[in-house]
Amino acid sequence: MRRLFARLVVRSAPATRVAGWRRPPIETGRSRLIAIGAGFALLFTIMAGRLIELTLLREGEEPRLTASDARTPAERADIVDRNGILLATSLKTASLYANPKRVLDADAAARDLAKALPNLDRRDLAEKLASDKTFVWIKRGLTPGEQNAVHRLGLPGLAFQEEYRRVYPHGRLAAHVLGFSSVDNEGLAGVEKGLEGLLKTPVRDLAGPLALSIDLRVQHVLTEELGEAVGQFHAIGAAALVTDVSTGEIIALVSLPDFDPNHPSAMPKDALFNRATLGIYEMGSTFKAFTVAMALDSGAASLASRYDATEPMKISRFVINDYHAKRRVLTVPEVFLYSSNIGAAKMALDVGTKRQQSYLRAFGLLDPATLELPEVGKPMSPSPSQWREINTVTVAYGHGVAVSPVQLAEGVGAIVNAGVRMSSTLVKRPADAPLAGRRVISSEASRDMRQLMHQVVSKGTGTKASAPGYSVGGKTGTAEKTGVGGYRTRALLSSFVGVFPITAPKYLVVVILDEPKGNARTQGYATGGWTAAPVVGRVVARIGPLLGVAPNAPDDVLPERTVLAASAPAGGSRVSR
Amino acid sequence: MSTRDGLRRPIELSLRQRLIAVNWGLVVVVFATVGIGFAMLYSISRGSTDTLVTKQMLRFAIGVGVLFAAALTDIRFYYRYAYPMYAVALALLVVVEVAGRVGMGAQRWVSVGALNLQPSELMKIALILALAKYFHGRSEDEVGQLRWLLTPLVLVAAPVALVLRQPDLGTAMLLVLGSAVVFFMAGVRVWKFLVAGAAGLGALPFAWQFLHEYQKNRVFTFFDPERDPLGAGYHIIQSKIALGSGGMFGKGFMQGTQSHLNFLPEKQTDFIFTVYAEEFGLIGGLFLLFLYFVIVGNGTVMALRINAQFGRLVAIGVTSTFFIYLFINTAMVMGLIPIVGVPLPLVSYGGTAMVSILAGFGILISAHTHRDVRIARRPDSPDV
Repeated sequence: MRRLFARLVVRSAPATRVAGWRRPPIETGRSRLIAIGAGFALLFTIMAGRLIELTLLREGEEPRLTASDARTPAERADIVDRNGILLATSLKTASLYANPKRVLDADAAARDLAKALPNLDRRDLAEKLASDKTFVWIKRGLTPGEQNAVHRLGLPGLAFQEEYRRVYPHGRLAAHVLGFSSVDNEGLAGVEKGLEGLLKTPVRDLAGPLALSIDLRVQHVLTEELGEAVGQFHAIGAAALVTDVSTGEIIALVSLPDFDPNHPSAMPKDALFNRATLGIYEMGSTFKAFTVAMALDSGAASLASRYDATEPMKISRFVINDYHAKRRVLTVPEVFLYSSNIGAAKMALDVGTKRQQSYLRAFGLLDPATLELPEVGKPMSPSPSQWREINTVTVAYGHGVAVSPVQLAEGVGAIVNAGVRMSSTLVKRPADAPLAGRRVISSEASRDMRQLMHQVVSKGTGTKASAPGYSVGGKTGTAEKTGVGGYRTRALLSSFVGVFPITAPKYLVVVILDEPKGNARTQGYATGGWTAAPVVGRVVARIGPLLGVAPNAPDDVLPERTVLAASAPAGGSRVSR
Repeated sequence: MSTRDGLRRPIELSLRQRLIAVNWGLVVVVFATVGIGFAMLYSISRGSTDTLVTKQMLRFAIGVGVLFAAALTDIRFYYRYAYPMYAVALALLVVVEVAGRVGMGAQRWVSVGALNLQPSELMKIALILALAKYFHGRSEDEVGQLRWLLTPLVLVAAPVALVLRQPDLGTAMLLVLGSAVVFFMAGVRVWKFLVAGAAGLGALPFAWQFLHEYQKNRVFTFFDPERDPLGAGYHIIQSKIALGSGGMFGKGFMQGTQSHLNFLPEKQTDFIFTVYAEEFGLIGGLFLLFLYFVIVGNGTVMALRINAQFGRLVAIGVTSTFFIYLFINTAMVMGLIPIVGVPLPLVSYGGTAMVSILAGFGILISAHTHRDVRIARRPDSPDV
């Protein structure tokens, strides 16, 4: 073609004019021909452009047959407990939608539809079907019977969209762990949201269901016992955890009041709140476990050290009293057993403000827990620059610092797990996965702590946590909740953190009751030892056999390393404070 | 072959000279395009060569014969018999009107023995020849005067009216638009086209009443395909779905699902481009458009090189008709214009159209071969 154009140039107009013929029409024709050729080229360009648009860019309003694939939400993987019991699954359901533009008679269609689906309002339907849209949902998640009824109507413009509906076969059990997902299959809470990426991975099919660390049997026991305690003591709420201290796995996690993840929207917001991970509380005396542990580990105190608790302790404008006041010099075990605030405060001052902070940070109490849930509470503590002596004193017995129950479990777990802290997790650890923990205290200090915790249950404030056949160790906690203008003495947060078997710690049970009220059976007491400790005892008695923990032989006890009473000669600088 | 010597005698070309003068490049591209058509018909019949492909090949063989016969014929033959051919075509159209066979809800066919002819196809060529001959005899002054335009307008109006009555909107449009290009090339003033266009628009409401219900529906549907997705809008929606599903490289030969699963109507005729683009994607579609561009470009350049008014008008008339054919079809399947029943030239299944298009190219080649042959402008004048 280029050759032709070249020749055209040579045969330009003057040459032909020389011939002298009367041929102006031809000359006009030449320029017009070029105009026509240009027109052809333009239209070819338009055609090519449109072809590109249709094949590559596509039109927005174009109803593509492949679109139905795209609209089908990706199926979420099933969730199972550590033993493979189904906790959450996706059921294929049909959802009914309409394209009102294709509905022939909106009123008649609405009348028939209302007959087939009696819980839908006819006027509502007619309005929807007469709208100007091309897509309206009529009803999500139809039962097969409903689908059949609609199908039999044979109405044009109605169609079913295959959808997956999330079902939680165990209802409320482990609701706060699982969370829930929306009708559009978006995870909204719990591991459904926290592990959304893992659940929706395309290769999920190959990997099988997601196994949580939760043991549903333990979850059931914990939920039942905690619920009973809440009812008995009229608590406004409660949280409890069972963890495997050697791996960090959370075996059970309960927050009350709970909800049914199958119908999350029907629940009050309060029920959706996860007290075990999102709620942060001043834990009270359970914190003394950390204080004693750091004192023993740092060498600031030994089991034989003594602390004078004869008089209430004055520090700046505060006076610190003991709840179970002995009004004498106490040994370290006694401080722990009788939960002496004065003793703990003096011990913390011996450890020192800076060291206290670094120990607390190492126990994981100053940073949010790393957990597979979006609901993780940020702990509250004085900022390092504001951390004064008075803070050190109050933190020693669990006030002025607020942590979540899961943090408490992780920290105490570190104390009993030979001093090694394992990160909490809700996902089952593979049996062959290497365990990476961080040492917080020495194994000697850990051993001493286990002995002290055992004595709390055997003869201290936590005797009600004992379980037949199992040697349990633990620590009570009773904190006054803050209210307007200070602490409220009648609003308590009663807790108990127990470990069993204390001879070789494996499982840890934390029970926290929010504002329990004492009753006749507890002689009016609402403290941790009276309310939370019995729950731990009953839970241990029930889950020990379930988890295959061998009962302790009667003679299988921790070797006594210390004397309980201050019979040894008094003295030592430490008492002088 | 040159006439630069200025001699006024017509040059007689030997058969060999005419064969050499044939634009073989054009012939090769035309055949390649027909080849794509065969492949698509093969795909549509799901790998069977039984019916569609063999029939189409037979018609193509006839068409090739017609093409070369037409190409080797002296341009003056067409000049001499332009009016008689027009008269025959018009007469056949009248016969269709009176005694034609009804096909697909419209009367378009006339049976001559075993042969089914569509006279409207014949008319496409005859009309161009007649108009070219008429304007060849007019001076520039005469073309500028309205009274000299009455005759060619009647030449166009008569077949258009008959074709519309069949009803065949597509062919009528082809005749009108093809003729308009010839008028334009002949030198008719641009303002007259503007006036005619304005008059045409003004007459639209009037003409609207004469449209058949299905034709009105097609226009409605063009503006809103969703209004009747299972009825009038079905064609275009399905066509666009198929085109879109082809993507960049298509689904592969014989892999088109939309067309093979019969979502696409009229796939072997009007919507064959869609089948093609679904299977060969954007790349394939652009390639076919490129082949057409080469054909149309060749025709335009050939017209430019022809010195006689008659030959040039015939050349551009044939080229334009071909272009309008393919433009209406591709624009229609891509939803740029309302659905009008026009096949894709050279590719769609259909005999008469194939033969008439090849015949048109034959005449185009002949006009190009005899580009320097002078034809007397008037019976009383020896001049060209």
